[in-house]
Amino acid sequence: MTDAIVSCRGVSKIFGSGELAVHALREVDLDILSGDFATLAGPSGSGKTTLLNMIGALDTPSSGHVVIDGQDLGSLSKAQLSDLRLNKVGFVFQAYNLIPVLSARENIEFVLELHGLERDERRQRATDILREVGLEGMEDRRPAQLSGGQQQRVAVARALVSRPRIVLADEPTANLDSKTTEELVRLMYRLNREMGTTFVIGTHDPRVMEHSKRHIELLDGRIASDERTG
Amino acid sequence: MMNTIRIFAPLAWRNLWRNPRRTLITLIVVSVGLWSVLAFNSFLNAWTQASKDTTLQLLLGQGQIHAAGYMDDPGVETLMPPPSDGLLKALGDKRISAWASRLVVPSVVQSEYKTLPVMIVGVDPKAERRVSSIPGKVVEGRYLNGPGDDGVVIGKHLAERLKTGLGRRVILMSQGADGLLAEQSFDVVGLYDVDQQTEDYYVFTGRAAGQKFLRLKDEIAEIVFTIPNDQDLAPVIRALKDAAPDMDVRSWKQLSPFLAATNSFMSGFIYIWLSVVFTLMAIGIVNTQLMAVFERTHEFGLLQALGMKPRLVLIMVTMESTLLIGLGVLIGMAMAAASIWATGDGIDLSGFARGLELVQGGQVLYPKFDAGSFVLFSLVIWILGIVVALWPARRASRCSPVEAMRMAT
Ligand SMILES: Nc1ncnc2c1ncn2[C@@H]1O[C@H](COP(=O)(O)OP(=O)(O)OP(=O)(O)O)[C@@H](O)[C@H]1O
Ligand SMILES: [Mg+2]
Repeated sequence: MTDAIVSCRGVSKIFGSGELAVHALREVDLDILSGDFATLAGPSGSGKTTLLNMIGALDTPSSGHVVIDGQDLGSLSKAQLSDLRLNKVGFVFQAYNLIPVLSARENIEFVLELHGLERDERRQRATDILREVGLEGMEDRRPAQLSGGQQQRVAVARALVSRPRIVLADEPTANLDSKTTEELVRLMYRLNREMGTTFVIGTHDPRVMEHSKRHIELLDGRIASDERTG
Repeated sequence: MMNTIRIFAPLAWRNLWRNPRRTLITLIVVSVGLWSVLAFNSFLNAWTQASKDTTLQLLLGQGQIHAAGYMDDPGVETLMPPPSDGLLKALGDKRISAWASRLVVPSVVQSEYKTLPVMIVGVDPKAERRVSSIPGKVVEGRYLNGPGDDGVVIGKHLAERLKTGLGRRVILMSQGADGLLAEQSFDVVGLYDVDQQTEDYYVFTGRAAGQKFLRLKDEIAEIVFTIPNDQDLAPVIRALKDAAPDMDVRSWKQLSPFLAATNSFMSGFIYIWLSVVFTLMAIGIVNTQLMAVFERTHEFGLLQALGMKPRLVLIMVTMESTLLIGLGVLIGMAMAAASIWATGDGIDLSGFARGLELVQGGQVLYPKFDAGSFVLFSLVIWILGIVVALWPARRASRCSPVEAMRMAT
């Protein structure tokens, strides 16, 4: 037995039907192991986002099985999928990650509220994690008052604050310049090393892949290569 | 649940001000709608009250006592003696503010030009002034001086129809107590001005003078009484019935079923208005909220991706509409209270009423603040508003996180 956090077996995803059917994923077998810092690359339309959505319990496969921390997604209700995401998965999306009416700290506290944490504990953890991602002093800013890079740091902080088993990031650097990209990737890499958090990052960006310890390449909905480098 | 509210209330509150224009539109729709319901309700109540009062004060009183049979066939054969001691005692009840006895019999009035059917009303002017507004509506000449006054006070319109006037004489004819025709000429000493129907029909003279004319002793046709407090009506009627079991005691509702029906129709009218306002309001709320939800599709997807259950999204959006509509309701209540307070000194409709002879309302309306209906209508609007807003909220909770996230990129 491996210590796989997520395992995909024969996962296919078909969007639409008949003539218009799109095979976004075809028979994918994949295990994400605890401590992985993996990048998921491939041309546009190769199925990166679709696969990340499966791994993150945002979507369920058309056929095959996705098992997250022992739970098969196919057997779960919508509400159970919500709980699974809340407890096991952190997300960083390409853009619009934050709730615009909440400050950086409140965006993070919001997730802790969903976890039912008490006010003092929420405050403490939000403050700590924001310091961790280098946003000390910006806790009370709203997303609109933060740069793109700072917003993504808040998103990373939020993804991490509930100590999930796995953090999924779909093109987190797509809207960032190279310096900010570098900083964000270093941040995630450091968190992976220091806290042991598992990361899977969908990306086109060579600067992101540089740091990866595992490089997965998708092509036409199939895994073309899967190499460990670290 | 309390916990959920505590978490989402601040978020819901801030979300309201994300699109101030839309929030403002909803606030205006709700507050103006509620204001119109509340203001209209108090206006309508004042109107109904005033028109009822006007009619009752004319001649009807809150109730009357007759001999059995008089109502079916009013005339000299169906009169009654003056009130007995027992009845006098019952009429002395504190809840009865005044009473008067009248002789009322059908008659014919004749001038040089015309003969018209009327009711001749023999009154005791002193008592009559306390139960009827007509003595105060004499516009030419004078009212009667005492029970023995044998002048007549007739309506202005009747005088025109008879082509007679102050200081002239008219002849009254009726059946006397002996069954023979009674006929006598009377001086017109006063003209009164109310509504045409009353003016055409009632001719007043002293009660003793009338009794003499009809060759009666001290018989009367009716006792009219006034009860200032509506709640006292039923118990007082019951007490009077007990005091005079063989007589015909009736409240104004039985004496004038039409007026009673109008009264309850008018109060029912507010519900028609309420449903009109509510329909318009519902359309407004659903539209603005659907738009708001649609604009935030991505955000609802994000919230669900973060692990917020669809049910919680529904609760959050419903809380937003609860706050929003609640705020509108509060503003509407304040506006309505202000306008009721501003018109508390009375809305003078006399100019309006003169222009429209049809208008039977009292000439000055006094809108009153009725806490019961105020709170009731506000709650109804609030709750119905929230229920309507559940539809957009459901849409929000059904956003699929994947779809919602795709839309943004
Ligand atoms: N909801 C959907 N409905 C229909 N087709 C879809 C849907 N989601 C994805 N697809 C299709 O599935 C295929 C894989 O899409 P996916 O978004 O996973 O690719 P990707 O590798 O993330 O591409 P990109 O690099 O452009 O983000 C594409 O052909 C896409 O058009
Ligand atoms: Mg993608």
